[in-house]
Amino acid sequence: MKKHPMLKYLKEEAPAGPRLPLIMCPGCGAGQVLNYALHAVDTLIREDGLRKEDFVFISGVGCSSRLASHYLNFDSGWTLHGRALAVATGALLANPGLKVIVLTGDGDAAAIGGNHFIHACRRNLNMTILCINNGLYGMTGGQVAPTTPIGRTTTTTPYGNVEEEFDLCRLAQTAGAAYVARWSTAHPHQTIKTIIKGIRKKGTAFVEILSQCPVHLKTAPAEMFRDLKKNTVPLKKAGKSEAKGRIPVGVFCDIDKPDWVTRYQEIIGRLERVESTHE
Amino acid sequence: MNRNQRFEIRIAGFGGQGVVTIGKILGIAFSIHGGRNSVNTQSYGPESRGGACRSEVVVSDGEINYPYVRKADVLVALSQVALDTYLEDVKVGAIIIIDPQAIKNVPAPERFRLYPVPTLAIAHEIGDVKYQNTAALGALYAFIAEMIREFDLVQALRENVPIATVDRNVAAFEKGKKFVQSTFVLEK
Amino acid sequence: MSPNRTDLILPPGAHYLQGSQACAEGAITAGCRVYAGYPITPATEIMEHAAHRLPQVGGRFIQMEDEIGSASALLGASWAGAKAMTATSSPGFSLMQEVISFAIMTETPLVIVDVQRPGPGQGYITTSQEDVMQARWGHHGEGSIIALSPASVQDMFDFTLEAFNLSERWRTPVLLMAEETVAHMRERLVVPSRDEIQIVNRTRPKDLGIAPESYLPYGHAEVPPMAVWGEGYAVNHVSLVHHTDGNVTRYNSSVHLENVSRIHRKIEDHVDEIARIETRWLEGCRHLLVCYGSVSRTGVEAVLEAREQRNIPLAFIRLKTLWPFPERQLRAIVPEVDTIFVPEMNLGMMKHPITEALRDRCRRVVSIPSLGSLHSPELILDRICEELA
Repeated sequence: MKKHPMLKYLKEEAPAGPRLPLIMCPGCGAGQVLNYALHAVDTLIREDGLRKEDFVFISGVGCSSRLASHYLNFDSGWTLHGRALAVATGALLANPGLKVIVLTGDGDAAAIGGNHFIHACRRNLNMTILCINNGLYGMTGGQVAPTTPIGRTTTTTPYGNVEEEFDLCRLAQTAGAAYVARWSTAHPHQTIKTIIKGIRKKGTAFVEILSQCPVHLKTAPAEMFRDLKKNTVPLKKAGKSEAKGRIPVGVFCDIDKPDWVTRYQEIIGRLERVESTHE
Repeated sequence: MNRNQRFEIRIAGFGGQGVVTIGKILGIAFSIHGGRNSVNTQSYGPESRGGACRSEVVVSDGEINYPYVRKADVLVALSQVALDTYLEDVKVGAIIIIDPQAIKNVPAPERFRLYPVPTLAIAHEIGDVKYQNTAALGALYAFIAEMIREFDLVQALRENVPIATVDRNVAAFEKGKKFVQSTFVLEK
Repeated sequence: MSPNRTDLILPPGAHYLQGSQACAEGAITAGCRVYAGYPITPATEIMEHAAHRLPQVGGRFIQMEDEIGSASALLGASWAGAKAMTATSSPGFSLMQEVISFAIMTETPLVIVDVQRPGPGQGYITTSQEDVMQARWGHHGEGSIIALSPASVQDMFDFTLEAFNLSERWRTPVLLMAEETVAHMRERLVVPSRDEIQIVNRTRPKDLGIAPESYLPYGHAEVPPMAVWGEGYAVNHVSLVHHTDGNVTRYNSSVHLENVSRIHRKIEDHVDEIARIETRWLEGCRHLLVCYGSVSRTGVEAVLEAREQRNIPLAFIRLKTLWPFPERQLRAIVPEVDTIFVPEMNLGMMKHPITEALRDRCRRVVSIPSLGSLHSPELILDRICEELA
């Protein structure tokens, strides 16, 4: 049987036993996102001469964050709920050469991690944030999230959600991220291309990937997948009447500006030339 | 143990009067330039300006354990509140330097020796009220001249004030020092 | 990418610095090149000094959006190979506890300075020792931790350097439990010559000739060698209960017990190597004063006076290390005494492990509290005389 081409980037077995399959529910979108991310990394290794050890995956806690755990054949850190971006910040300060990919979810990034999220975007640190947005808290059983549409019933909004949802891309853009895009698991090629661009981009790249959670939304995966295609509209058609009620997908912004480390290096360079007169 | 040979200086006033700076300068002068042990501490409220503020220097040739002033040998009080607060905690025979312009309620010198020094007036002569602290430092120096080299203290002063103000700070120091030397008979 | 300007660390000889500055300098001398922090009184000066000095030596400083972000950044920095530190005060320390717990489980070297101030809540901005129990028990879960207690500007330099060495040696977060008193005082600091300073760096698998294919991130030794990101070891840092190879799939309670017990024993079994105490006047003593941190300064003064002026045969012990608690060391040296006095800038915290350790060596243990300000020698002495009358 032919092996999946991305399997070389995963750890199948280890002394303590098998690490696969992933724990994701059947039909979950997270595994697809990992697949797309690994394809992107694979392309960069082949085309840009990058090496496997240049990449590091950092995640928080949640279904999305499970992707960066013990089955990744890369350096990785499966960290604390909401804190992946702060961890990534520290890693880049220590080694700016690392290609940092952050795997996070909508709850992880926009609720508990909200503060770190807006500051990471503002700082324009050289990282690629893949935010798997399923509109709820999956791992803990389907509670409401800042990305849950108004009116939806969840385990903590049994009478319907009374809050409006975040537009994560708008948030990232407003906060200052250099590259902001949204796709879905139903847009594999666009997602992979965007992730590649995001990693190549100097600065903060935020890629929101709408994803299906068939278990908590009690909908068949194939139907959810079709809905993702149906309910999204490419950006250039977003102004048209047919776009009403559909979520725009595409690249929202792509700005060139120096990243945090580049700016800080100027300080170090300046100080190198000046004789130190510290007290 | 030489711990009994502690010389304790306390400077107190309002936040913004430069109390902390002259404590720091004294500490550096004693420790680095003078080669003795000294501990410099300060305490103040969260307000930058206006709240009560004190700076202390404990000097010794031996180990300094307790880092704060127990009973001051010298108290420099730049405000009424400072004097009222710290009057009790001075040694018998302590030197208390006050600015008569700021301090109206002057206690009768019983166990201590009181020296009014017009630090504010000197500061105005130099050109700004902010030089009051170094005028006080000069006055203080005149009383402890056998404990520290003037050169060391002025050096520490030069290195710890903004460069643009060095000359005027040194001038204020000189005036404070000269006022004391020409006005009071200094006993040991 | 950045120059490592070891020529610009604090030169040997005498300096006159604030405790906060000495702390930051000790870190830089130890090799700290990443600092992530957040402003909080009375720890801000440490951060400001680090912001000023780190780029001079080729390091990087960042002010994060909160304390949780600061502590979290240390994790990434450490995993990417840097020695990293932050300094906070009591409210920020509480916020960092989840990260500390995580650092214990992932065995991540990092240094956190807590310049304690009174609480609870905002409390006040003066001095305190109210976090000393939080240092040991504030993190959730099992595992142990190292916490040092400086009493002088010299200690702020030396102990910070040592904190890094301990964190690298034992692959653990290390806490420096300072107080506002010692952070804000200015005193002389003597920096030893370069060859007198010992710097410890984490053991890496390549140092032991362990290839990536055979590397076990939590195995090989009691203190596992630590691979750094970017060197081809594909190391996964996980805090879920794990096997020595980092696998989290096969949970069972014996793996759990082994995983967590090893982390606990890693520190607790080595108390004799890690913990340090200072003792004076134990010979022929009848009573004992046990101090730590800034209170030690007052403590020595009080003991000297008690012995010289009141003829009280009082001995002095200073805990330089709060955790792991040096129970065995204390029991080995403390004779039968009548009263053990424990002055603390809290209502009585370290008195508990002290009592647990020495209950059968004394008639009683008496707390001497002072909240918000350093004990004066009179406070301690008067209380001792009162109790012994």
